[in-house]
Amino acid sequence: MAIPLKYNLRNLLVRWRTSVATLLGIALVVAVFVMVESLAAGLKHSFVTTGDERNLLMLRKGSTADSNSQIGRMQVDRIRYMAGIARQADGRPLLSAESVILVSLARASSQGEANVLVRGLEPAGLELRPQARLVEGRMFRGGLREVICSRQLGERFSCCQLGRSFRAGKNQFKVVGVFDAGRSAYDSEIWMDVNEARSVFDREFFSSILFRPENEEAAARLKKTIEDDRQLTSRIIREPDYFKEQTMTAGPIKWFGDFLSWIMSIGAVFAVMNTMYATIGRRIREVGTLRVLGFRRREILISFLLESLFLGLIGGVIGCLLALPLNGVATGTINLQTFSEVAFQFRVTPDLLIKGMVFSMFMGVAGGFLPARVAASTPVLQALKSV
Amino acid sequence: MIDLVELTKLYRQGDIDVTALDRVSLHIDEGEFLALMGPSGSGKSTLLHIMAGIDRPTSGQCLFRGVDVAQLSETALAEWRSRHIGFIFQTFNLIPVMTAAENVELPLLLTRLRASERRERVEFALELVGLKDRLKHLPRQLSGGQEQRVAIARAIVTDPELVVADEPTGNLDAHSAHEVMGLLATLNQTHGKTIVMVTHDPRAAQYGTRQLHLEKGELQHDTAQASPAEAEA
Amino acid sequence: MTLAGFMARNALRNKRRSFLTIASVALSLFLLCTLRTGLREMTNPASMEESACRVAVRHKVSIANVLPAKQRDLIKRVAGVASVMPLTWYGGVYIDEKHFFSRFAVDPAEAFRQFGEMKISPEHRDAFIKKKTGCVVGIKTMERFHFKMGDRIELAGDVWPCDVALEIVGTYRGGIDETILFFNHKYLDEASGNRGVVGCWWVLADRVDSVPRIIAEINRMFRNSDAEVLAESERAFQMGFVSMLGNVTLLIGSISGVILFTMFLVTASTMAMAIRERFREIAILKAFGFRSSDLAGLIVAESLLLAMAGGVLGCGGAWLMFRLVPIDTMTNGFFPIFEVTPGIMAQGMGIAMALGFFSCLVPAWNALRLSVVDGLKILD
Ligand SMILES: Nc1ncnc2c1ncn2[C@@H]1O[C@H](COP(=O)(O)OP(=O)(O)OP(=O)(O)O)[C@@H](O)[C@H]1O
Ligand SMILES: [Mg+2]
Repeated sequence: MAIPLKYNLRNLLVRWRTSVATLLGIALVVAVFVMVESLAAGLKHSFVTTGDERNLLMLRKGSTADSNSQIGRMQVDRIRYMAGIARQADGRPLLSAESVILVSLARASSQGEANVLVRGLEPAGLELRPQARLVEGRMFRGGLREVICSRQLGERFSCCQLGRSFRAGKNQFKVVGVFDAGRSAYDSEIWMDVNEARSVFDREFFSSILFRPENEEAAARLKKTIEDDRQLTSRIIREPDYFKEQTMTAGPIKWFGDFLSWIMSIGAVFAVMNTMYATIGRRIREVGTLRVLGFRRREILISFLLESLFLGLIGGVIGCLLALPLNGVATGTINLQTFSEVAFQFRVTPDLLIKGMVFSMFMGVAGGFLPARVAASTPVLQALKSV
Repeated sequence: MIDLVELTKLYRQGDIDVTALDRVSLHIDEGEFLALMGPSGSGKSTLLHIMAGIDRPTSGQCLFRGVDVAQLSETALAEWRSRHIGFIFQTFNLIPVMTAAENVELPLLLTRLRASERRERVEFALELVGLKDRLKHLPRQLSGGQEQRVAIARAIVTDPELVVADEPTGNLDAHSAHEVMGLLATLNQTHGKTIVMVTHDPRAAQYGTRQLHLEKGELQHDTAQASPAEAEA
Repeated sequence: MTLAGFMARNALRNKRRSFLTIASVALSLFLLCTLRTGLREMTNPASMEESACRVAVRHKVSIANVLPAKQRDLIKRVAGVASVMPLTWYGGVYIDEKHFFSRFAVDPAEAFRQFGEMKISPEHRDAFIKKKTGCVVGIKTMERFHFKMGDRIELAGDVWPCDVALEIVGTYRGGIDETILFFNHKYLDEASGNRGVVGCWWVLADRVDSVPRIIAEINRMFRNSDAEVLAESERAFQMGFVSMLGNVTLLIGSISGVILFTMFLVTASTMAMAIRERFREIAILKAFGFRSSDLAGLIVAESLLLAMAGGVLGCGGAWLMFRLVPIDTMTNGFFPIFEVTPGIMAQGMGIAMALGFFSCLVPAWNALRLSVVDGLKILD
């Protein structure tokens, strides 16, 4: 049987000042880790949850995002009446040829500006995106310089709130409605009528076409027909897959998070080591006594490892609790693929919390190992004689 | 029970060899209460440590019921100690964060006893040393004499054949020392424990059934006590 | 032996702890210097003296909108304009996304006149002007991919709907970013079907003084045209990208704060530990008649020494590391330079010093007040 845990717990309590400092050290490292990871997770989430599995998106071959794709008028007309595309209630194809323009707008908080993605779409485009619901105001009408903005965007750009207006080029646009796209990537966009967008921003080309095939078999056939057509030079991708490709920005954030966490964790391991060396130094006579009583080296080692593991565990719990309130906090950064603003929310997932806990326990054990080994390997007599 | 054969312990200090024990041979019978005496640095503690299995001789044998303790591995030694030896220190060495009862219970954690059996034994041992009412006290809430009695309870709770004590009264006043010695004598006489005790105090040595003198690592003379100490006290 | 000698020996008695304390301070300061440098490079990108004479002209709606080529002649006519050229972000994919470096289409005759800090040999420059499919590649990118003169580089268009096949005819050194590829805007025009558009205009003023006037005139000139522009200094143009980063700067700032706090906590507890362990000796010294204030002073000095040693290691380590590690290529040019400046290092040292001082205050105070009797009672 092992040395009782309460022995370790009480020792932690007796020197509570050091324990608390070490605990907090670990806790803060875990908090930073979870925080940065939740930023990346939130960013990823907003893209990964975007789009309807049934929809196909057509882009120019080679383009990485709809903001740099170009599709000519003739191409649009050819696609629009292809067989196999689902119909709207009024019999017209469920297809939206869209034009994407980046517009530089002033941020609400600071003086800076950022590019916001303006999407010109056809009425079918709204039907193709059931994720987005109008929650305030009304739908835009063509020819009147009217737009609707996502609610999340309104929090970051005050000119995107209901009733406000903004200038882009020569034109003044009025926000007549606010939509909510369920925290998807569409929550970073401004929507307006496609024909008006093309004329106002002087766009000869469309950017992309979003459409819904009648069924899976039609989808496969349409994809093949379009991609095989040398004149169209287009690629077809499922709408959700397209957005999954857009998570490049999460890469550097994750990288940054890993870098930070690793270096900080080494610091935390040092702190645990310091604490454990000190406590073992002070308790080395106790270790000697335990050995005389017949406890083996392994039991001593495990006992001290458990003690530092416990430090890590509590630190991890505190760290996770510290990071938890961030869940759902809105933020935004640049999408490195489109150079436009993405608005999203921190996401502290259970998965991340578990990762944080494992990380903290790792720090505890890593910091405790060497000191525990010293304790276990000190010869009995030497341990008994030391002051 | 114990046979020491030509036991030698050398300490190498730079170029000089210090001979802590010089070919000590000794036989100890079951039920003896041996008082080990001698000037400081004569090797008493060293001898005790080797008998208790926490130190190894440079040469010679230390046979405990025919088994050469010095040949056991580190892990086997630990187990051997937990079964056969009870150790009493000059500085008590109780675990400060544990109560008296928990300190006494510690060696029992190495046995297969159930919790209830352990508690019974702990209470018995503490009753024996007269501290049944101090179960929940922490070491710092006890006097030195009481601490040493808790340490004795811890040493005997596993019912070991051999109890070794290194200057058990060294840190105690005369009254407490008398109590502790009385306790050891009772253990020896009533409970039949074999005891080896190092002491500087001739009065404490009187409690032993046999006195042994070490001088510069060599056994000087060996007196079996004619009459037990209680007679005088 | 002097009192200071005694304390110094004591401080070193626990070498392991001294090492761990120094190491954790060093680590924290390394991180802090790294973050501060990153933040500085991001929010305050480096620029050259030459930059002050340059004006960037982009579409008013956003940088992603193109400008008509015919604007060039109009801009050229503005008084004080020494040179105008198109500067168009081509982007493209070379092999795959991992082989990233910046690629721009420019006017070969003007490019190295405008970017005077980028040094190119006259032969390379002439070759660049003569050969329409030629390109000039920064020395760092040449080294990274082991390019040689005459090598062919094929780029697949992503932002632009056309591919280009280029031949390396020159290389440049100097300037902030030595990774860029420049190629002939005429080639891009032809490849993309002569649409007559450019990404931005880059304008060189004859003197720094005329820059504000040139900016105002260009902005006014196109105010009510189809392609309204935003002319701004090159510096302001750079800062526009900074503002696009959004909350990242805030994030890094707050993380630095957390690190500072953690560092303080850990160092303070280590110091307290180290000093509490020595209470007995301190009490003995006091019993001999040493003054409390001397002892407290020595404790503070020791703590300062440890923290400063960590500071030197951490700040110096950051400085050394980012000199040796090619951050520009590692981050694909996101950080063209990553220099731990003397200012940042001085700041780091200041923080280390404050850390050493404040973290020992409480234990030093305790040692100062410690009564001899209490101190001697502490056994272990
Ligand atoms: N670890 C060691 N290294 C070197 N020499 C040692 C060591 N331990 C003990 N000695 C030496 O061995 C000799 C015997 O020591 P021991 O501790 O057995 O004496 P002792 O009889 O118990 O003395 P005391 O009565 O003062 O406790 C001494 O001369 C001592 O210096
Ligand atoms: Mg001794």
